[in-house]
Amino acid sequence: MLSLYASSILAASFWTDDAVHTALIVSTGAALVCGIVGVFTIIRGQSFAGHALADMSSAGGAGSFLAGINPLFGFLAIALLSAVTMELADLRQARERDLAAGIILGAGLGVTALLLYFDVTTKSTTGAAVSIMFGSMFEIPASIIPFLLGIGVLALSLLAIFHRPLYFCSVNSELAATQGIPVRRVGFIFLVILSLSVTLSAMAIGAILSTALLIAPAAAAMRLTKRLWFALGLSAFIGISASWAGIWLAYSSYDWTRGHVWPVSFFIVTILFIIYLASGLPQLIAKLHFGTDRYKTTQSFGGS
Amino acid sequence: MKGVHSVRVIMLFFFVLGMPTAWCESQKPTIIQAVGIENEYADVIAQIGGQYVNVTAIITDPNTDPHMFELSPKIAAQIAAADLVIENGLGYDGWADKMLSVAPKVDRKVINVQRLLGLNDSTPNPHLWYDPKTMPAVVALLTDDLIALQPDHAAYFRANQAKFEASLTPWLAALAALKKDFPGSPVAVTEPVGDYMLDAAGLNIATPYSLELAIMNGTDPAPQDVTFENKLFSAHKVKALIYNQQVTDPLTEAFLNAAKKNHIAVVGVYETMPVPGYNYQSWMLAETNALRDAISENLSTQSLARGVH
Repeated sequence: MLSLYASSILAASFWTDDAVHTALIVSTGAALVCGIVGVFTIIRGQSFAGHALADMSSAGGAGSFLAGINPLFGFLAIALLSAVTMELADLRQARERDLAAGIILGAGLGVTALLLYFDVTTKSTTGAAVSIMFGSMFEIPASIIPFLLGIGVLALSLLAIFHRPLYFCSVNSELAATQGIPVRRVGFIFLVILSLSVTLSAMAIGAILSTALLIAPAAAAMRLTKRLWFALGLSAFIGISASWAGIWLAYSSYDWTRGHVWPVSFFIVTILFIIYLASGLPQLIAKLHFGTDRYKTTQSFGGS
Repeated sequence: MKGVHSVRVIMLFFFVLGMPTAWCESQKPTIIQAVGIENEYADVIAQIGGQYVNVTAIITDPNTDPHMFELSPKIAAQIAAADLVIENGLGYDGWADKMLSVAPKVDRKVINVQRLLGLNDSTPNPHLWYDPKTMPAVVALLTDDLIALQPDHAAYFRANQAKFEASLTPWLAALAALKKDFPGSPVAVTEPVGDYMLDAAGLNIATPYSLELAIMNGTDPAPQDVTFENKLFSAHKVKALIYNQQVTDPLTEAFLNAAKKNHIAVVGVYETMPVPGYNYQSWMLAETNALRDAISENLSTQSLARGVH
């Protein structure tokens, strides 16, 4: 019995563990999609919309627990529904958009509170709240992977098809409109892409934290390069690296916490935060050396 | 004037007469209002107190997780009115202590099972009623408390205590036989619910304790532990899976399916006494018999609901 136990905690077990396999696949898919979509989200100034969509999708996650289905489908359904609601609200100005998103977000979280209450009082699911809000990467069943990858492929395909009008509208929507681009429809398509992305991220690191994977890698990448294609690649790379490192650290925490495993999402989000801080260093060094803001990358990126 | 005065005298007379009567009644109620926070403790109160107690059980639903119990004003009122309360302790029903302290009652007897057994707060497994040493100790103190509340019925309570202790014998014998016939048989569990009973039966719990605690507390289990537990089934390292019927999630269901796939017997256990059909003794005996069936004949007993096996 003891030898079996010892062999299961050897370092090599990381690569043979089924739960780790699933976690690596899910987080890679989520980080790739979010990394790329995140850059567009920042250019479009819709970070808060992304956060609101993710928060509202938690109601779907809680409902899924109640219905006994995988939270993925609840996250997806409510995120898409919220995107449609935000589109119907038809708010052009950023300030109004944030207000509407904030109010819809509050209503969504309120529904989550009620559904989670039903979860724990009528069903015998103890960890539902933490799992929905902060993710349970090691508990994702392998059977859900095809659906997750399908959502990722759909999001990236939509982005590939519409990236030109999207980018154009983001940089200068008035000019885009005069060129005959349906600015509003393009905006809605982006909301759909955003919904698909936060669904993936919510599965990986939880509904509340999912914007971290959407915004942080993209923000760090955009401080380091001004070129769109580089930023997309770097953002995906940062997201995937942080996810893999976070999963490895969480898995290893078993050895230094006496049989506990600290939440994967804690490690991933912390690593992303450190990377974001570090991405400001080149700018800071340049400022100290030359006394000027020669590398004002974020501000100059793509205009706004 | 004279008439009014005499009415006053009569009222005063009844008032003076009535005071000590009311006072006596609150001292020695004819029916003791008792609350067993968990229904297994309520069952034992009813068995000892018999016709002189009116017992209410608070946690009674074997289909939900008792760790997630929520209070209602009705329950608060029942606890506030109680003359005698049995609570488990160890954080399992920590809210009951708060209820009792905000609604003090003269001469109320409170039995905290954790304190009675001298367990400190860091004891990880709160499912004390699965330990065969627990209920005899609870019943001894319970009988003393009932006698203190109603000294006139001491003989009645003592007789019930003796009857209860005698009725535990089949269960204790079943545990001893299991220990003698299948010493150290390895078993897997999902939660520490039945662990005290498994220890008493001399079985070897192969599941990592960190996994049991993670499932009980609703935290994410370590993938290492999950892999280890799955290997217990696939490598046929255990004779049975002891499965908590009351706290299930996709993970515990996966363990259940893994055990079934590898033809390992499954024994369903409960945190809350399954009613109707059982009292404390017959419940514990049924669990132990199911355990023996699993270990000796590889028979599963997933549900203790009467007629369903």
